[in-house]
Amino acid sequence: MTSDSSSFLTALRLSDSFLPVGGYTASYGVEQYLNEDRLEDGEDLQALLAAYLRRVVGPCETVALANAHAGAAAGDIERLFAVDERLHAVTMPREFRESSTKAGAKLCELLGPATATSSAADGREDPSAGTGSSVADGGELVAPFADAIHSDATPGHYPIVFGVVAAARGLPQLSACLAHAYSFVTGLLGAAQRLGRFSHTEIQSVLESLEPVITDVCEHHVDDDVTTMAAFAPMAEIMGMRHERAGRRLFMS
Amino acid sequence: MGYRDVAKVGLGGPVGSGKTAMVRRLVPELVERDYEVGVIANDIMTQEDADVFRESFDGLIPDELVEGVETGACPHTGIREDPSMNLATIDEFTERHPELDVVLIESGGDNLAATFNPELADYFLFVISVAEGEDIPRKRGPGVTQADLLVVNKTDLAPHVDADLDVIDEDAATVRGEDPFVFTNCKDGEGVDAVLEHVEREVLFA
Ligand SMILES: Nc1nc2c(ncn2[C@@H]2O[C@H](COP(=O)(O)OP(=O)(O)O)[C@@H](O)[C@H]2O)c(=O)[nH]1
Ligand SMILES: [Mg+2]
Repeated sequence: MTSDSSSFLTALRLSDSFLPVGGYTASYGVEQYLNEDRLEDGEDLQALLAAYLRRVVGPCETVALANAHAGAAAGDIERLFAVDERLHAVTMPREFRESSTKAGAKLCELLGPATATSSAADGREDPSAGTGSSVADGGELVAPFADAIHSDATPGHYPIVFGVVAAARGLPQLSACLAHAYSFVTGLLGAAQRLGRFSHTEIQSVLESLEPVITDVCEHHVDDDVTTMAAFAPMAEIMGMRHERAGRRLFMS
Repeated sequence: MGYRDVAKVGLGGPVGSGKTAMVRRLVPELVERDYEVGVIANDIMTQEDADVFRESFDGLIPDELVEGVETGACPHTGIREDPSMNLATIDEFTERHPELDVVLIESGGDNLAATFNPELADYFLFVISVAEGEDIPRKRGPGVTQADLLVVNKTDLAPHVDADLDVIDEDAATVRGEDPFVFTNCKDGEGVDAVLEHVEREVLFA
């Protein structure tokens, strides 16, 4: 059994920009929106991120994460592969796929099999826990899934790995989806702040206004079947594709 | 094969100090000594920069062993707190070129506090130039004090910017203690041999 306190810390850790998985190099098209002067102010930024949440993060990534979490909890590795493959297929721009799979591989390295078993074995992460208690139901798929990523048998998209490690560490499905969506938003806000001219207070007010959207899309999509996974964000996808040929680029996507 | 199986040399230091010039000097010498070399630049990359870089190593190293890695406008993060995208690129290098001996990683331009993550660079050079002010060594920035080798470049410019090389020499000796530093002039290649000697002894023979 994993305590609420430790799962809360897992959520914080997974959504923290301190997590070294290269998230700060991804802008998912935001750099291109700025290159093309399509984001003038906080309102534009808010509208863009709300659209991302409703059309991509919710119907694609949250669905992928939630299904990966469920697949891990059920010990069903075929389900993980199916979810990963589907997310790969619906993520159009090449750079979006690369940002996601690179971050996924890093997350797997950091919180994957070695750390899951060592923290379970010596209980160092939670001195009050008995041996083996850090790995909740679903932990047994972490190692084979990591192997599959390593051998290129599956792409290993970030939301899938996120779902697998969250399940292994006892973070409930909805909490995992919220942590992921929140870190997606703060990652993009950070990118916009570094590239454009947005003040810290403006960025925080955009974040605040997006909070209900985050909770709404996560609650709405957490129980969706994997077959519903689909994005509709043609403009963002075009921006993502144009970014490949951008004259100047500071971000990987 | 992965990033752990190849020697990695970081080049940090302020914008314009001569990191790229040093990479350009080192690569032909390393190739001459029969090392297989890869190069990563963390600079703001335009397609043009990448092409220029590849062109300057034309015939020395294959195009796919020269890569720009974007660091999301956070150059220090890319070499210190979160080097994951640099490591992923090195993994791609070693996957395609298992014989690779060494990767040179040029940072995107740093303040004096920047250091390399020890998992990203087995050895790191901090390149400053005399034209940035003769007082840089005595500020004791972590880059200057913790680098495996401090390189003071552009000695040729000292008379033009009122920098006294003796003062820099004394200060560098004081802040570096037992650790080495060298003077270079990348314009005509002076001092590059000494840099190579350190890199070869500490990284490639180690
Ligand atoms: N005079 C002189 N110029 C140099 C020297 N090293 C580099 N430069 C020039 O300084 C400028 C910046 O060098 P670069 O290597 O691009 O700096 P980086 O930003 O650290 O990569 C370029 O115009 C170089 O040609 C040197 O030793 N002497
Ligand atoms: Mg340079």
